[in-house]
Amino acid sequence: MSQAPMPDFSSSVKLKYVKLGYQYLVNHFLSLLLIPIMAIIAVELLRMGPEEILNVWNSLHFDIVQVLCSSFLVVFISTVYFMSKPRTVYLVDYSCYKPPVTCRVPFATFMEHSRLILKDSPKSVEFQMRILERSGLGEETCLPPAIHYIPPTPTMDEARSEAQMVIFTAMDDLFKKTGLLPKDIDILIVNCSLFSPTPSLSAMVINKYKLRSNIKSFNLSGMGCSAGLISVDLARDLLQVHPNSNAVIVSTEIITPNYYKGNERAMLLPNCLFRMGSAAILMSNRRSDRWRAKYKLCHLVRTHRGADDKSFYCVYEQEDREGKIGINLSKDLMAIAGEALKANITTIGPLVLPASEQLLFLLSLIGRKIFNLKWKTYIPDFKLAFEHFCIHAGGRAVIDELQKNLQLSGEHVEASRMTLHRFGNTSSSSLWYELCYIESKGRMRRGDRVWQIAFGSGFKCNSAVWKCNRTIKTPKDGPWSDCIDRYPVFIPEVVKL
Amino acid sequence: MDILCILSSLLILYLIFKIWKHIDSKRDQNCYILDYQCHKPSDDRMLSTQISGEIIRRNKHLRLNEFKFLLKAIVSSGIGEQTYAPRIYFEGREESPTIQDALSEMEEFYIDTIEKLLKRNKLKPKDIDVLVVNVSMLNSTPSLSARIINHYKMREDVKVFNLTAMGCSASVISVDIVKNIFKTYKNKLALVVTSESLSPNWYSGNNRSMILANCLFRSGGCAVLLTNKRCLSGRAMFKLKCLVRTHHGAREDSFNACVQKEDELGRVGVHLDKTLPKAATRAFVDNLKVITPKILPVTELFRFMLSLLLKKLRRSPSKGSTSNVAQAAPKAGINFKTGIDHFCIHTGGKAVIDAIGYSLDLTEYDLEPARMTLHRFGNTSASSLWYVLGYMEAKKRLKRGDRVFMISFGAGFKCNSCVWEVVRDLSVGECLGNVWNHCIDQYPPKSLLNPFLEKYGWIREEEDADTFKFRT
Repeated sequence: MSQAPMPDFSSSVKLKYVKLGYQYLVNHFLSLLLIPIMAIIAVELLRMGPEEILNVWNSLHFDIVQVLCSSFLVVFISTVYFMSKPRTVYLVDYSCYKPPVTCRVPFATFMEHSRLILKDSPKSVEFQMRILERSGLGEETCLPPAIHYIPPTPTMDEARSEAQMVIFTAMDDLFKKTGLLPKDIDILIVNCSLFSPTPSLSAMVINKYKLRSNIKSFNLSGMGCSAGLISVDLARDLLQVHPNSNAVIVSTEIITPNYYKGNERAMLLPNCLFRMGSAAILMSNRRSDRWRAKYKLCHLVRTHRGADDKSFYCVYEQEDREGKIGINLSKDLMAIAGEALKANITTIGPLVLPASEQLLFLLSLIGRKIFNLKWKTYIPDFKLAFEHFCIHAGGRAVIDELQKNLQLSGEHVEASRMTLHRFGNTSSSSLWYELCYIESKGRMRRGDRVWQIAFGSGFKCNSAVWKCNRTIKTPKDGPWSDCIDRYPVFIPEVVKL
Repeated sequence: MDILCILSSLLILYLIFKIWKHIDSKRDQNCYILDYQCHKPSDDRMLSTQISGEIIRRNKHLRLNEFKFLLKAIVSSGIGEQTYAPRIYFEGREESPTIQDALSEMEEFYIDTIEKLLKRNKLKPKDIDVLVVNVSMLNSTPSLSARIINHYKMREDVKVFNLTAMGCSASVISVDIVKNIFKTYKNKLALVVTSESLSPNWYSGNNRSMILANCLFRSGGCAVLLTNKRCLSGRAMFKLKCLVRTHHGAREDSFNACVQKEDELGRVGVHLDKTLPKAATRAFVDNLKVITPKILPVTELFRFMLSLLLKKLRRSPSKGSTSNVAQAAPKAGINFKTGIDHFCIHTGGKAVIDAIGYSLDLTEYDLEPARMTLHRFGNTSASSLWYVLGYMEAKKRLKRGDRVFMISFGAGFKCNSCVWEVVRDLSVGECLGNVWNHCIDQYPPKSLLNPFLEKYGWIREEEDADTFKFRT
């Protein structure tokens, strides 16, 4: 993907060095400017000689009162400066739910269930098999117990017990890891897109852990697989307003009530991809948590493409011909995701890209729009801005599309692909499983920047940028602890079933 | 010497600049209500006694005992003849709703309301920066907030939140979110859309605690425009003074007071427990404990503490008089009228309004807006507070400087309350678009009784459940 005006040099090795030199020059512009100034001052000092310097020093009259006032002023002003900066929001720690082995759904189990439930429509069974073959999922993904019944028993009680199982386990784990006491939680945000009973899941968590009565709780739902980052956004806004507070975010998706029982093809797709999972995250703005926090939140950008009709209808819940409810995924999903990503990148690019990339992007934009030259859109090199990428494991096609759009290598998208393989599409919590993968592989170093991208129905594209606060030791427990050594695995294009 | 002078003066100037900026930003953090619009559904959706009787008769699972129970509930509900119900009730399809029914019900509400609101304030959908939607019992994909964004073609960077399952107090929770956003971001315009979805939530069984919900809830909704823009603060109606949320989910009995679950036969309904009033009272008392010091003047608080002290001293010598101490609903003993001028009570039912009136020692004049709203519009869940506010505005009760106290309850069990101060004189001029405009002169009516008793009172005399036949 090189630009049109430089095709003759693009293959040349010299161009690579020119680009490197250019990047270095632009990114360190200010420091490079400082060198000649320092040189001039040094030359001046050497020229003046020691006696002249002493004379200049003695000519300054120092009154004791003046000295005290000035130093007091400096201290006061620096305090005011530091207090007025917006509060940094830290991610102290998070924990992901590891489903029990009894909930595993290997391909054979899934296909057997499918054949028994859809015995009247062999074409739909065939369709499901083809989807599963190319899905990128592995043999260890899990579905909740109610779905293991033939036919599935999606009652409200079962859905509630799945919610209790996934949420409470993840939260217990979080409490253990961070030493957080339930009564110390100030803000609670729960997001679950497809299941919202009354009282809400946030009320259920408050009931189980006996949280304080003045807790600020919020229950977001219907916001799709990007709801995790929307919750982080809300937590950030609240933590800016409330000093010395912490926030617990629970991101999950409850599969039980949403298993599609019909045989319309476009609606069978979610059955094949969505799997059980959840994550509990602790965020804080306390200065005391600065030392033990894993990440610092740098930026969070939300883009909503709902105004565009095609984007809006691409993930749509509806009834099929027989009145059975399911989620219809349109065929244009990939294209729409690409568009939403572009819209998101235009906002986040200026915030994270180094100056060199921004300048190139600006030049190519000027060339295309003003001078009408036939240049291809310059895609900024995001690998310069981030060390790790967490792309929502929405499906194999989504990861492929994003890898192509952002020009990422296989290693960059490894976390996403392996999460999809091991856990399936766990909706809003998948980003946290991916982050856990990167940590478990021991790749997370202090100062590394992570970019989390998530898509959701509506159509939304949300992205968050985190900076690693301290080098993270490989976690001994966690969802990847027993299988990280087997990863990365090679995932073939088609797994023959 | 000169260099030092210059440096110090620069530093002092920087300090003054920082202090000025700090004070200035505080002015931008106020949350104002610019305008609000309640929804008045079309008159063909009015639920009269006749049609209610029809609907009850249609339900094949109900027997004589359930009819007697329903009669008692509806007669004493305080709900009048002109409340509104979803269309499918009139089409006879309440037991088999489709997704489209639920969505059309919502569309009918928000298209009408948001249109009127934006037009009246000469704003475009693209001006909206924050959108918070709360509809408790509807969870669609894409969310209702995405639907609104799609319909009005709002901007890509709009901050949107879709809250569900937070019960009848979700309005105040949405305002809480907007208030917090306004503290960090300047010059924003927010739209809060609140309603309740009734179409997909009809309970088709015969469990008594669950059929109650069928009879009490009515259709309604409200869209509120909030802002912290200084240029719009001149046109604003109300300013938020404080907001307090109390959550009693930690208590088992409060948590189980209002639960959506399946009955013995697997039919989904909302179970309203008998302990609900007690849970509400507890939550209300806790909420008052936090908000009272923030809203009442110091003199009143002082007087209250003195009276408490005297009561304690008087009680300790006489240990025999324990019988008159125990009361069902405790009186607050504190005069709220010293700090609050108007009371906006969630119209959860006649019992709720009576209980709050008793515990806060309010007069009939104070409770009139809530009672009239319950009579005219029924229990519209989270949006009921705005209808009560509309009544006060239509009756020209709101003068500049007045304070309005909003109290709401929700499943979980929550009690959320907030206090608004009137910033513009609303007692003069006409209130455009007020949902009460067409009928305010008929209120308060002479009698609040609905014709249910005279039409169906004969059910009370019936004794034999097997030979019982429902006469129209």
